[in-house]
Amino acid sequence: MIANADALLKPLTIKGLTIRNRVMSTSHAPGYGKDGKPQERYQAYHAEKAKGGIGLTMFGGSSSVAIDSPAAPWNQISVADDSVVPFFRQFADRVHAHGAKLMIQLTHMGRRTKWDTENWFPTVSPSVRREPASRTIPKEIEEEDIARIVKSFADAARRCKQGGLDGCEVSAAHGHLIDQFWSPAVNQRTDKYGGSLENRMRFGMEVLEAMRAEVGDDYVIGIRMTGDEMVADGLSQEDCLAIAAEYARRGLVDFVNVLGGQARDHMAHAISLPNMSFPVAPFLFLPSAIKREVDVPVFHAQRVTDLATAARAVSEGHVDMVAMTRAHIADPHLVKKLSEGRADDIRQCVGAGYCIDRIYVGGDALCIQNAATGREAFGMPHEIRKADVRRKVVIVGAGPGGLEAARVAAERGHQVVLFEKNPTAGGQINVLSKAGWREAMSGVTRWLIGQVQKLGVDVRFGVEATEEKILAEKPDVVIVATGGRASRGHARGAEEHATTCWEVLEGAKEPSGTVLLYDEIGGHAASSTAEQLAKRGCLVELATHDRMVAEEVGTTNQPIHLRELYKLGVVMTPNMELIEIYPEGNRLIAALRNTMTDAEEERVVDHVVVDHGTTPVDAVYRALKAGSINHGQTDLDAIVRGEPQPFDLSAGYALYRIGDAVAGRNIHAAIYDALRLCKDL
Amino acid sequence: MTYAFAALAFLMAGLATAQALRRAALWRLGAAAPVDWVSGLAKLPKRYLVDVHHVVARDAYASRMHAIVAGGLLAATVLTAFAILPPLAGSHLYWGVVALAFAITLAGSLLVGARRYPKTPKRLSKGRFQRLPILLLAYAAGGTVAALSIALAGPGNAVLPIALLVAAAGGLGLAYEVKGGPMRHAVAGALHLIAHPRQQRFEQDKPDAALVPLDLDAPKLGAELPADFTWNRLLGFDACIQCGRCETACPAFAAGQPLNPKRLIQDLVASLAPDGPAYAGSPYPNARDVAGEAGPLFKVIGPDAKIHPDTLWSCTTCRACVEECPMMIEHVDAIVSLRRHQTLELGAPPQKSFETLANLREADEPGGRPLSARGDFAAGIELPVISKRGAADVLLWLGDGAYDLRYGRTLRALLKLFHEAGVDFATLGEEERDTGDLARRLGDEATYQALARANIETLRKYRFNRIVTSDPHALHALRNEYRAFGDDFEVVHHTAFLLELIDGGKLAPGKLDAGTVTYHDPCYLGRYNGETEAPRKLLDRIGLSRVEMARHGRRSMCCGGGGGAPVADVPGDARIPDIRMAQAAETGASVVAVACPTCTAMLEGVTGRSAEVRDVAELVLMAVEASRADEPRRAAA
Repeated sequence: MIANADALLKPLTIKGLTIRNRVMSTSHAPGYGKDGKPQERYQAYHAEKAKGGIGLTMFGGSSSVAIDSPAAPWNQISVADDSVVPFFRQFADRVHAHGAKLMIQLTHMGRRTKWDTENWFPTVSPSVRREPASRTIPKEIEEEDIARIVKSFADAARRCKQGGLDGCEVSAAHGHLIDQFWSPAVNQRTDKYGGSLENRMRFGMEVLEAMRAEVGDDYVIGIRMTGDEMVADGLSQEDCLAIAAEYARRGLVDFVNVLGGQARDHMAHAISLPNMSFPVAPFLFLPSAIKREVDVPVFHAQRVTDLATAARAVSEGHVDMVAMTRAHIADPHLVKKLSEGRADDIRQCVGAGYCIDRIYVGGDALCIQNAATGREAFGMPHEIRKADVRRKVVIVGAGPGGLEAARVAAERGHQVVLFEKNPTAGGQINVLSKAGWREAMSGVTRWLIGQVQKLGVDVRFGVEATEEKILAEKPDVVIVATGGRASRGHARGAEEHATTCWEVLEGAKEPSGTVLLYDEIGGHAASSTAEQLAKRGCLVELATHDRMVAEEVGTTNQPIHLRELYKLGVVMTPNMELIEIYPEGNRLIAALRNTMTDAEEERVVDHVVVDHGTTPVDAVYRALKAGSINHGQTDLDAIVRGEPQPFDLSAGYALYRIGDAVAGRNIHAAIYDALRLCKDL
Repeated sequence: MTYAFAALAFLMAGLATAQALRRAALWRLGAAAPVDWVSGLAKLPKRYLVDVHHVVARDAYASRMHAIVAGGLLAATVLTAFAILPPLAGSHLYWGVVALAFAITLAGSLLVGARRYPKTPKRLSKGRFQRLPILLLAYAAGGTVAALSIALAGPGNAVLPIALLVAAAGGLGLAYEVKGGPMRHAVAGALHLIAHPRQQRFEQDKPDAALVPLDLDAPKLGAELPADFTWNRLLGFDACIQCGRCETACPAFAAGQPLNPKRLIQDLVASLAPDGPAYAGSPYPNARDVAGEAGPLFKVIGPDAKIHPDTLWSCTTCRACVEECPMMIEHVDAIVSLRRHQTLELGAPPQKSFETLANLREADEPGGRPLSARGDFAAGIELPVISKRGAADVLLWLGDGAYDLRYGRTLRALLKLFHEAGVDFATLGEEERDTGDLARRLGDEATYQALARANIETLRKYRFNRIVTSDPHALHALRNEYRAFGDDFEVVHHTAFLLELIDGGKLAPGKLDAGTVTYHDPCYLGRYNGETEAPRKLLDRIGLSRVEMARHGRRSMCCGGGGGAPVADVPGDARIPDIRMAQAAETGASVVAVACPTCTAMLEGVTGRSAEVRDVAELVLMAVEASRADEPRRAAA
């Protein structure tokens, strides 16, 4: 039992609205919006959390109130006209049916959006200052704009109320229009909206007063704001305390939803959306300080990944509601599991940032370890139903794909045997979690193997599965999840002279002296390896085919790699291709080609380390293929339709291949392969 | 010589009476108690033959032994007394019958001896009890030979004097034992059946377990001295035959806590009469050192007295001892009387209970939590409050379990079932105070009475038909113990209520495929209220295969959670719930079904459990949800 868990399971009443417990999910933009509306996929995603026991789920991060703050860029919600109201109604009914409350975030993003989309209106901001993150130069906002936007906020609040939402918050965080006015780094005005903090607070007050006037005093309106911008020219903690206290004192807000930092550039994103390199709840002191200044409830989200931390935050009085947004992406049923005494079954967020990083490149939010999240509407289950017929399933490989397959098959009620040639589970996760700040990745394995063992899967560690051993089990289904093996790439001499990142991370090779690390993937592995080598005293040059190091690593993770690489003095060389490695004396020559100029350069180094991704380990698959009833083929149409594979198992065994054993991809791909195949097995 | 034989019977009766009167002088030191002698005497045969026999018969050997030896002894002695009538004294047939009665006694005596020799079972006391078969044997053998010799050879035969001498030694010895020895149980036992302080227990099918309210204006609160007990309770202690059935049933004894109900009763006896024979039964486990000073006017409890306070506070008030006692002794009443004095007069409840009692006194709740937070567990499920409606069919009494995270699950299950069945119900909301059960068991009658009166006053404000609760302790308080304060509510346990809903078609549970289940009877439901069937029927209705633990029903074993024992927390060798879960594990059941918040907490707290602990309501909800989950499938098929 988690200490102080009862603190989380107490209701909170705000203006007659009773939220059943202290756990919530903050408004975010998972990229599920369609035509500016929360439709089937979006609603199902939140309904799942409601079903899973959450007290309050907030949706629609950065939902726009006006057409010059377009909803298009991240598939967001537009509350700028009445057409959204029926969707709100349907959404609210769905969430209320499970006993949870539903709120939305409303905002005008000011300069923090794009002008080259939707209606192609210029962005607006208190002053003409370009934000690096959004890359727009805004127009200086005029008083007429202010009046128009204030009215837009009020109209939007009315639409929320009409739509049956339990409340809303305005965003004054991450550099949206309201906090653009607040922040001296953005607001250089000399009129009544600029200068003193009192003046800078004015726009936000006008917005909230107009909203109040429109929806009345009993409708819950809150504010999301920073507790400290943590930049030299930005809002200090004292400024933020003063703002929160003043807004609350005037009765403008019914709750204050506090976070730390801002988001004006790459590093700011990484800080305000802390990944696994940060401690848990790194900014809890900010809402805690504000709670001492205001008499309205205080909410907070920022890497509260576990219920023990959440319980502490509430029971010690730092916050009233604790937001576990990413934690719910990993496990939307976490409150239910807590209250049912099954806290050990919670799939805990590891802080990989996979969900948020996908959003920033225009994708949809997906969880690195839970393939059902965000796919509820497509029939991907969080709770696995029992199969009608019990089968014998043999799975080869206890990496993430094999473990997920074993878990889902066992949940279906099948008899499952899982072979793993190594003495422990985890596969490639064991390699990548050895790298510095990426250790928390091992949490993915920890949950999966825990579930697999709890479900009674016959796990055979240290046994390399062969055709004979597998067939001796008389399986109905064989799933090959043997993963991949690190490739040395195609440069001349690579097979003889290149060391892989795996070999370094696993400790099989311990390079010293000068190292050329060539990265063709742009993922975590090369950067992590470079960090590790540099820490051990190697002089490292990290060359990459891409335009920048770690180009495939997302918005909230790449800056951490770059920060570490700069600090460690790693030389970063983009736009290079490794073409040849050959020995000279007791050293190696690495030949590089500039991908833009074709000019060739050479490096004299002690070691050449490469990341070329993986190639499939498929010997077992090939051995079993001919004897299988389906020739090892997965029926892709059946998978997409969410139907069982159309093979008659009375005729023999079916053989499937998942994850990197098919082609080198990532953890999510392996887990998704496993879930969608096994849920209908 | 035949008259000498008859005289022996009269001598024995005279000696026994004299010894009994000496003993009665001690009982008279006790407080007065109203006793209806005529009615009690009239009811004695039934009480002996039905109520006592019901308990004694659980041990078949003892039952047979007692029937033969006691019946024979009484018959032979009374028959012999008739020898003063000359026609009988001269009848061979009569002496033949007397010889037969003695022969039966002889057979019984051999059974008594065979039980103790060569090896005496652990639960039986030794000491003077070891002499009993010898005295019986002497009286019975001597009597048989004497009567037989008269029947066959006439009163002048040579064997007769010797046989009579042997019989006299045995018979007078037995009569002498009426004051301080084993035979006291016969006289005190019979008188106890007549003058029993709980006459109701013989008059009704259900148990009579409600504690008697204490007059808080009395000059002394609770029992301090032996003489503070009413005389018929002192008589009751004297009825003890030291058979040790209570110690075998006592959970504290099993856990190695310093309590043995038999020893406790004997210590009460010895406190009254310190010059009696030394106790020769099994001791208090891990007995605390006491100086052992005693006397009718010397305090009973204390390190300097006979009984250490740890002994007093080890009791879970489970009433297993009372249930097992063939002499109908009321151990728990005695313990609560003694506790009342410790708490109310001396301010000496267990150290760890101070805060609990202060919370109950000041916050109306043992954890000091706000009463308004009692309904927090339900957030998200509709929990109607009666003050907003004024009336409801069912008043749901939530109890202290509502504050517990684990038990909240049970109550949520119950609420869901209520909603599913369309029950018109409401709670008292923040007007529900603790029932005071814990305070009362800890001897704090003042706090208990204040809570009882406040609760009754609240309940009277509203209209409802009956109270339903999932907490057997609350049920017992509301149903039985509040009556003395003027409540007359109908109170139903949630298991009985759920069964009613299912039987009435309001709930349609499916069948659960969840392995085997064993049901653990809560003491305050089974032993205190005689309700053991509804939960079992519910488990059968939802298709679970049910197995019984060796101890179940009214003879079930306590979880260790009652009577303030968890608050007192007297250390022992083992924990009671561990012992109980080990008993559950012996059945191989994968689920232990419970029906009480205290049992849930105690049994769930056992580490390394082999079985899940689920309230019956949770299982019923699972079955209801299972049937609902099947519906779409069935519809599709």
